[in-house]
Amino acid sequence: MNKLTSVQDLNALRAKLVADRNAIKKSVSVCLGTGCRAYPSAAVADAFAEQVKKHGLEKDIVIRRTGCHGFCERGPMAMIFPEKICYFQIKVEDVPEIVERSLVNDEVVDRLLFEDEATGKRIAQQHEIPFYKLQNQIVLGNNILIDPKSIDDYIALGGYSALAKALSDMDPIGVLQEVKKADLRGRGGGGFPAGIKWETTRNAPGEPKYVIVNADEGDPGAYMDQAVLEGNPHSVLEGLILGAYAMGSTQGFVYVRQEYPQATQHIGIAIEEAKKYGLLGDKILGSDFNFEVMIHQGAGAFVSGESSALMTAIEGMVGEPRPKYVRTAVKGVYERPSNLNNVETWANVPLIINNGSDWFRSMGTDGSKGTKIFSLVGKVKYTGLVEVPMGLSLRQIIFDMGGGIRGGKKFKAVQTGGPSGGCIPEQYLDTPVDFDELSKMGSMMGSGGMIVMDENTCMVDVAKYFTSFLADESCGKCVPCREGLRQLKRILKKITDGNGEETDLQLIEELGGFMHDASLCALGQTATNPVMSTFKYFKDEYEAHVKDKKCPSCVCQALTTFYIDPEKCTACGMCFKQCPTDAILGDKKVVHIIEQEKCIKCGTCFNVCPTRFSAVVKIPGTTAPAPVPFGTKAKKSSKGDK
Amino acid sequence: MEKTKSRIVGVRVNKDQEAMLSELQKRAKMTKSEILLQGLETLAEYYTLGPEQEPMETALRRMEKDALHHMMSLKKIRRKEEAIRDFVREIRAVDEIIDKHGCDKSMLIQIMLDVQKQNNWLSKPALLWISERLGVPMAQIMRIATFYTAFSLEPQGRHMVQVCTGTACHVRGAEELLTRMQGVIKVAPGETDDEQKFTLKTVNCLGCCAMGPVITVDGDYYSNPNVEQLKQMGEKYE
Repeated sequence: MNKLTSVQDLNALRAKLVADRNAIKKSVSVCLGTGCRAYPSAAVADAFAEQVKKHGLEKDIVIRRTGCHGFCERGPMAMIFPEKICYFQIKVEDVPEIVERSLVNDEVVDRLLFEDEATGKRIAQQHEIPFYKLQNQIVLGNNILIDPKSIDDYIALGGYSALAKALSDMDPIGVLQEVKKADLRGRGGGGFPAGIKWETTRNAPGEPKYVIVNADEGDPGAYMDQAVLEGNPHSVLEGLILGAYAMGSTQGFVYVRQEYPQATQHIGIAIEEAKKYGLLGDKILGSDFNFEVMIHQGAGAFVSGESSALMTAIEGMVGEPRPKYVRTAVKGVYERPSNLNNVETWANVPLIINNGSDWFRSMGTDGSKGTKIFSLVGKVKYTGLVEVPMGLSLRQIIFDMGGGIRGGKKFKAVQTGGPSGGCIPEQYLDTPVDFDELSKMGSMMGSGGMIVMDENTCMVDVAKYFTSFLADESCGKCVPCREGLRQLKRILKKITDGNGEETDLQLIEELGGFMHDASLCALGQTATNPVMSTFKYFKDEYEAHVKDKKCPSCVCQALTTFYIDPEKCTACGMCFKQCPTDAILGDKKVVHIIEQEKCIKCGTCFNVCPTRFSAVVKIPGTTAPAPVPFGTKAKKSSKGDK
Repeated sequence: MEKTKSRIVGVRVNKDQEAMLSELQKRAKMTKSEILLQGLETLAEYYTLGPEQEPMETALRRMEKDALHHMMSLKKIRRKEEAIRDFVREIRAVDEIIDKHGCDKSMLIQIMLDVQKQNNWLSKPALLWISERLGVPMAQIMRIATFYTAFSLEPQGRHMVQVCTGTACHVRGAEELLTRMQGVIKVAPGETDDEQKFTLKTVNCLGCCAMGPVITVDGDYYSNPNVEQLKQMGEKYE
């Protein structure tokens, strides 16, 4: 690897890499994102390599182990180039057939293509699959084309050309102005315009200046930053270098959470390779610009993703937020001007420099430009990562792309923005998704988690879940957040335990308002969003819990009763045998009965009752219908089923 | 000197004594004559001590007891040495980590993460040494160690089981998966079993949200395993 000392060197290298790439007849991209690793996708990739070797085609066919392709639901997956055929749910046994038919010959293995359930048609091309149809993958799209451990792959696809352009044709102010004109807003949650933040840091007094990648993606349910950092680390790095150039910084940091080992590894390799090529270090591409990057790992604290907390952690102290009378853009790491942006924000920067701000502004809504990656998860049929232009409606994302709710259940709400966001009910499904619209509904865009909930989700339980999460993660520095969350958690527990009083509902509202006004950092200020939004849109559920002592979704155990339907029970004895407290009375050919006073509501009987009978049912509330007298004959004999 | 089976250096020995001598000979690597001569010498020395001395047998017992005591203290010293060697080895490993990070105060959390990764926990000597080398007060180190979930101040099991309880996993049954896992490996969250085999932890998000609920064992990901699969897993790990 020779050091590149000029833009010409880089262009020459790229020309050579492109020629090499074009000489390859076919390639296979196997997804090895962290999501797909839960499937045996590594074994699938190995099988591909082995089969290609068996056919003696190592020179003609490249097996690329790539980052996340997005459609995690259907992994392990692979794409065959140049035909761009997508295969899903590949088993190791399927690989010989794919290699034989799709790589050696130019056929298509029909049974591994995506099947459109509505029409029954098999779809080979990615952009025709409903999940991908509405997407515009400007950030995520390269994941499928590159091996994240190879800088050559990135350069071949035009990587570092934005840096070359900036260093040769633009001055730092020009880069900054372009980003500012593009109206790129922070993808981490706040949505603050990146250009304005950059300008503040650039103009703030003090040297050195720091630039930071925030990859402490703590929002449970969101994993797009991981996918970008893991699948295309150089795009983030190039964005960071451009930012440093624009702001006059010489030192950068990448702060990754330790729960993402693969992402940490890949960005580490990316930094090393960029150093070898001279894209990091002194006199980058022969210019006067010097820049170094260091990786810092988080140690498992949600609050450390907050900007001032993250900067304290970089200094080696406990990652707790501090009051921001002076913004971190002016006084951040070691009291020096520090610019922090999210992974996705940085990854957008090279695109803006290469294609211009007008191109970027052509996507999205008035207030929010560009695309956003969402993690579409929860009870939706097709889960995964989707990158869409801002302004698509929630309905388009959840129903057109996500295929609606799994198991034919009814949609109840979608939770956006992580623990700082809220739940949006069905009547707002047609709202366009951008920074401002979601905030208007009492939720927020956040980093882009979209957790879909169906009719079997209890909204009080969801509120309790987030409150417990935040109560655990609160650093405890300020009283409103520390004590407020503790009390909120206590009240919600009281309600879900069936001891709620009407005054509790008032108290929740009061407490929420107070915490919002008085907490030190955004964690505390927005901590009540999950509670307040569910309270606003699903007040009937709270009232059912408090007044009627019922959990309408049968989730809160204390407010749910288990009952055996005598019409359906075939006396198979499954529940009778497995009940841990012997609360079920039963005998051969005799309808089983639950003794309610012995029942601990563990749900074992509900889970073990064979689905073809579904005799055990959950009933909202604490009273069950009167049981049939013991000894009633069961309708069918259990003998036939054995 | 004539050597017969029953006479060694002029002393008459019977068959049992002869066997005993052979046994001693093997252990002491001396000839039979040498052994006997040495024995006689000891006996002579003993009788020169005068008539008030303790009986031969008691004297030997006392000597044996002393020897045993001596041996025990030697063993203790050896174990102490072993323990010190272990500490030194541990501290040397910590030193390597500190040097890797350039003995930089701002890398404190990174150093602690590396030590945690290497030893599976943070021992007091290790933390004291970090404090000493970096010049950071122990209070600050303890504050970090107790603030972050990644650190453990107790030894962990050989295998780390993490159950994701992030939102996406929560709505898809993470609680039940946690209960199932607890049932199989018989450990409560945050605890380690008696054999130090498994440590069970809950984590906020592992970034596999589309596959929820998810667990990892030593970094290998599994999507919503049932009881059977969990049992197989439990046996797979040693």
